[in-house]
Amino acid sequence: MLTEFGKIFVFLLVAVIFVIALVIVAWLIRPSRPTKEKLMTYECGENPEGSPWVKFNIRFYVVALIFLIFDVEVVLLIPWALVYRQFGLGGFMVGAIFLIMLGLGMAYEWRKGDLEWERAKIIPPVIKRPVFSSKETREAEPVKSKQLV
Amino acid sequence: MSLELFLFLVFAAVAAVSGILMITRSEVVMAALFLILNLASLAGLYLLLNAQFIAVVQVIVYAGAIMVLFLFVIMLLRPEHEKIVTKISGIRTFAFIIAALVFVQLAYVILKSHPGSALNSDVTASVNAGTVESIGTELYTNYILPFEAAGFLLLAATIGAVVLAKRKFE
Amino acid sequence: MNVDYLVNSLYLIKPELAIASALVLLVLIDLIMGNNKKFLPYVAIAGLIAAAYFIIGQFGMNSLAFVSKSNKGMIIADPFGAFFKGIVVFASLFVVYFSIKSDEIKASFERHGEYYTLIFGMILGMFFMISASDLILIYISLELVSFSSYVLAGFTKTALRNSEAALKYVIYGGVSSGIMLFGISILYGITGSTNLYEINSLIQSSSIPNLTFILSGILIFVGIGYKISAAPFHFWTPDVYEGAPITITAFLSVASKAAGFALLIRFIKITFIKSVDSAGYWQLVDLIDWKTFFIFLSIITMTLGNFAALWQDNLKRMLAYSSIAHAGYLLLGMAVLSNQGMIAIIIYFAVYAITNLGAFFVVMLIANKIGSENIDDYKGLGYSQPFLGVSLAIFLISLTGLPPTAGFIGKLYLFIALVDAKMITLAVIALLNSVVALYYYIRVLKNLFLSRPANGTFEFKVSFSNGLVLVLLAAPIIILGIYFTPLVDLAKNSMQILGF
Repeated sequence: MLTEFGKIFVFLLVAVIFVIALVIVAWLIRPSRPTKEKLMTYECGENPEGSPWVKFNIRFYVVALIFLIFDVEVVLLIPWALVYRQFGLGGFMVGAIFLIMLGLGMAYEWRKGDLEWERAKIIPPVIKRPVFSSKETREAEPVKSKQLV
Repeated sequence: MSLELFLFLVFAAVAAVSGILMITRSEVVMAALFLILNLASLAGLYLLLNAQFIAVVQVIVYAGAIMVLFLFVIMLLRPEHEKIVTKISGIRTFAFIIAALVFVQLAYVILKSHPGSALNSDVTASVNAGTVESIGTELYTNYILPFEAAGFLLLAATIGAVVLAKRKFE
Repeated sequence: MNVDYLVNSLYLIKPELAIASALVLLVLIDLIMGNNKKFLPYVAIAGLIAAAYFIIGQFGMNSLAFVSKSNKGMIIADPFGAFFKGIVVFASLFVVYFSIKSDEIKASFERHGEYYTLIFGMILGMFFMISASDLILIYISLELVSFSSYVLAGFTKTALRNSEAALKYVIYGGVSSGIMLFGISILYGITGSTNLYEINSLIQSSSIPNLTFILSGILIFVGIGYKISAAPFHFWTPDVYEGAPITITAFLSVASKAAGFALLIRFIKITFIKSVDSAGYWQLVDLIDWKTFFIFLSIITMTLGNFAALWQDNLKRMLAYSSIAHAGYLLLGMAVLSNQGMIAIIIYFAVYAITNLGAFFVVMLIANKIGSENIDDYKGLGYSQPFLGVSLAIFLISLTGLPPTAGFIGKLYLFIALVDAKMITLAVIALLNSVVALYYYIRVLKNLFLSRPANGTFEFKVSFSNGLVLVLLAAPIIILGIYFTPLVDLAKNSMQILGF
């Protein structure tokens, strides 16, 4: 007998087999003529330079943390949504108090500005007119411009 | 071989293999992805045990939310700088001993003490009742107080998370 | 659902309700009032006083709340719980006052709302821990306490050691609560129940796989042992106590430990007891040899705490090790496994709570002024600040357990219980430990009174309110040291655990 979860399992199975089959078929059919340029990571025609790791903004982490907490709360609320009718007012109150707790947490984050995405202030670059006071700076200057080219 | 046994073997094999792959990868992101596979196959095992709710929770919370956190932490820490940690000698032996101890414990508990033939007949009932509805009924009859306490726990966790995360900005 | 059943149960958890509503109120006030944070401590104090009022009412109660057809009750209202809740509220009141006065906390003014909310989260968790009779509630309350205290330990944002403290606390806490959960799951697996009373009747009536049961019992103890900082699980204590703000250190060392011990006593007594004989000794189910376990544990804990304290130069860190040692003495009372031992624990704890709060208060007042907790910086304090010096001396003497103070009474009852149970060797070991403890407490006293102060270090005045609070903490130590009948009577009243 196939339960509802059995059907989901069949879906998953079909999906996995389909993907694997496609990859294998593509691997069999396609011509394979790699060159150095083709194997390089594509970065708009530039040669890739440095580590591909970028330092992540910690704000993403805060959002993820808040997401995790509310995720757990949703999981606890699913059973409530299914059965609270059976329990009348008492059951409703129990869930309502739990929801108030969640609401408080949410209000807290809202009020404290943690849901806002503060953008980094863009400070326009201030170009100082180079003051050629000594000999060294005047000599150093052309080297810098060479690097930029 | 019944279908159930077959599925159990499949899920168990996937879980074990992905677990081993997870701890042997040197790429942290790869390890995290194998952990997701491991958690998902555990969800399959829960389903076979008739614990549908736990299975869904496993997928939503663990394979979903917690893994997102894992990946974010990996992104934050720039793991290519952290490879020296594995070089500490002795820690591997220590980990092996701990793992072996836990394994022996679990094996003993499962094989020797027959947790299936429990003292309380309610256990069989609770095995049959892994549906979301029955868990809901339990939550709103016997376990109201822990449920509300969990509400406070989550409120404290929310506030705590914000406090700790804010430290970094300032 | 029967609403009456809920309402009837709510009467039994009034203190918890008071704390919970105060918590919600604190969050709301913080949200509405914005930058006006003057009211927060007063709301906190009002909530605590309300809780204290309800707790006094609980001394006469003896019943289970949230009992239903298939469950034997979630939470217990009895004198034993009332006593430990009283200790928690007592400590919280003082900690709130300390927080108003502490420079460390004042510095992070914009986060006072979070501070008080999390303290109340901790109190709520401790209340549940003290009175829970169901493993699920026990675990959730333990987590509630832990979560809030992790954040509070790393509350002041500037100090680096503060972050280190919080991180260490989280890692050790996570591991130990995971182990405890493992133990709970095994216990549930072999008994099929999470209710302590039900587990008790189940393990008495049928045969249980022995080793598995021992395993689960000890694994559960890991979680509790972490909270009371007993020996193999104490590693977090010195770092956290040193790194956390002093107010939180005081709170952890008194309230958190009180909740842990209440949980330990209740867990052991309800789950494993067969009967109590006429002399007050507990006959436990002979599956786990708790007696040997506790003897072993208490010896390591007090020896380790006392000897490690010898090398400490930071007073906060020294008090951390001394609190480990005190956990060891308190475990002696558990090892006796009798009602007399329990009375001894209760007396000892009441004294320990007052004394430790006082000691940390003095440390805080001095740190506010000279910004240091190093013992060497205390040189000559007794001359320039005789009031502070003498009160610190009283607290330290009481922690050592010397005669004119209440600390002596606590130790006395502990030793009497040990001797009555014919555990003379253990009593001798504990006595030798006290001698070691004397050394490092005396070292502080020597710095206070026998060294000359560096010029101008201690030129400050203790304000009237601070002085009053200090007297409030120091006077009971002397008074109870001489006239201790009320304390003993209170302890005899509060050893009443529901059912046994």
